[in-house]
Amino acid sequence: MCRVVGYLGRPIALTSILYATDSSLVRQAYSPRMMATFLNLAGFGMAAWDSSSVSPDEPFTYKVTTLPVFDRNLRSLADKIAPSCLLAHVRGVTYSGDEVISQQNLHPFRYHDTKVSLAHNGHLREFPRMKYDLIAHVRPDLARRVEGTTDSEWIYVLLLSQLQDPFGLPDVAELADATIATLAIVRDVRASNRIDTSSPANLFVSTGRCLVATRFSYDYGWYPDDDHLLETDLPYVSLWYTLGNDYVERDGEWIMAGDGPPHSLMIASEPLTTDTSRWLEAPEYSILTASLDDDLLTTEIADLEI
Amino acid sequence: MRSELEAPLFAGLPDEELRQLLRPVDLQAGEVLFRQGEEADGLYVVAGGSVGVYSRLPGGGEVQLAVLGAAQVVGELALVDGGMRTATVRALEPTAALFFGRADFLALASRLDPTAFALKRRLAAIVCDRLRGRLEALSGSLDEHDAAPEVSTEALVPAPVPNEGYLVRLQFFRAFPPLQLPRLLAACRTLEIPAYRALLRAGARSDMAYVTLNGAVEEVLGWGRRRIRVRLAGPGHAVGYVGLLDGGPSPVTVATRERALLLAIPAATFAELFDGATALSYAFVEAVQRDLITAFRQAERPQARLAAAQQARRGGRSSGTSASVTSRNERANSRKR
Repeated sequence: MCRVVGYLGRPIALTSILYATDSSLVRQAYSPRMMATFLNLAGFGMAAWDSSSVSPDEPFTYKVTTLPVFDRNLRSLADKIAPSCLLAHVRGVTYSGDEVISQQNLHPFRYHDTKVSLAHNGHLREFPRMKYDLIAHVRPDLARRVEGTTDSEWIYVLLLSQLQDPFGLPDVAELADATIATLAIVRDVRASNRIDTSSPANLFVSTGRCLVATRFSYDYGWYPDDDHLLETDLPYVSLWYTLGNDYVERDGEWIMAGDGPPHSLMIASEPLTTDTSRWLEAPEYSILTASLDDDLLTTEIADLEI
Repeated sequence: MRSELEAPLFAGLPDEELRQLLRPVDLQAGEVLFRQGEEADGLYVVAGGSVGVYSRLPGGGEVQLAVLGAAQVVGELALVDGGMRTATVRALEPTAALFFGRADFLALASRLDPTAFALKRRLAAIVCDRLRGRLEALSGSLDEHDAAPEVSTEALVPAPVPNEGYLVRLQFFRAFPPLQLPRLLAACRTLEIPAYRALLRAGARSDMAYVTLNGAVEEVLGWGRRRIRVRLAGPGHAVGYVGLLDGGPSPVTVATRERALLLAIPAATFAELFDGATALSYAFVEAVQRDLITAFRQAERPQARLAAAQQARRGGRSSGTSASVTSRNERANSRKR
């Protein structure tokens, strides 16, 4: 499992997401609140879009396999960058010598000539059994570019392959449709391989102008007999969000402050504060979409029946 | 303190014992009894005056959830599961209250004291009443919706019980000592049910409660495109018992969301276990009460989303992040199995 934060809205100091709060993303690497028996020690990655920078549709990207809490370069960057959109991810893997800790396996995934980034919180059980059946649904030019060993990168190329132009800039509706189509293909491939145990697929997908997130699990509630992480797997993988204008510290608490219509949205695997009362929990089996046009934020949550 | 002890929560319990457990608290108008997010350490019974219950909103500010007066209980969830306060409570006028600490309650319960179990059943009744009220309020926010499908018993296929090593890791069964769990299982049936099958319709009388062993079951208000899910019960969580506790019709429609393996508890067995005075009954009351609180906390989620959406609308624009689910369904449904 992993922890992810997505943000879309008014420019926000990156440090307020990564470091400032009492359950910031960097803290969630070594002290997550909503995951039993599991830490996220396998690296950090982010894509941060700054509309005032050169080539605003190109994000700052940063990936490192070391623990972000010890990363002085990241802290220095976080003090300078104020993105209007962000995907940031701390990676968690099982404590096993079979795991591959490498930059190629860090989220968010984004090939240099594409406009879409994807981070994944979850895992597809028995992925090696189904991987080669997914190839039929992936464009060959994209399948050839898979560098890492994760199920998440395959989800990424599968999603790109569902877009009309994998190298174009999709709007939020096309991105949401591609996300749903991707989840449906994975469902069918699982079924054809008789894979029927719980596999969470909380996806965070963004172009820098819009954001799509899912809270979803295949076959939730069914586990293999030898599930050594049952206590971690029993709850539905969490997803929270908060809406407002500016994420600020006020009277000692961090809130998405602002009266009136919201201009900013933050979505996270778990709230960035231990006090969760300023956050809302996304429903299970849901898709959350958000787009930003001229400071106007439009959001929607819908049920997801895959 | 005599009149306060006649609050429904304490009715019939030994005065002397209660006097040792309760501590008087006086509040001025506007004074905070406890704040949302604080660690919960016990419940309060309002003895005189009144208090307001408030929930914070994500963008700042708060919304009033309820006003409680004499003999009413506030902060009851804390007595059972501790955790964080889910609301802020402030005195609306000079108010007197009695504090009942969680530590004292746990000490009573650890001795299997009959007073503790009488209190547990009454607390369950209070939480059940609040849950029903919350569900009715949420139901009032729904527009027209489709009728729930008919319940079909043909889909219920008997199935073997999973091993006890798995069951004891699930929340509902943690309360049962090793010797009691086989007795519970023997009094119930295990059923395997496909996904998307209705088990109980809103407004109907429940004849069975279900504990999810594998898969997931949801409790919803409304049906079809306009519906609100108020509960997703994965492994170790129960559904369909609110009407068994308070004798009313089911406030929700219960349906499988995933294919599911369920422990079915017939209504008569449920009543016998809940009202009994055996070690098995004590464990059962504990399990039901914990599950009820989980259900209550889950039902707060759509209410919070609704309040946040209303807050956004008051600002002049609507946001699609309301309590119910709508349009993406159509797109998704075209691809579902």
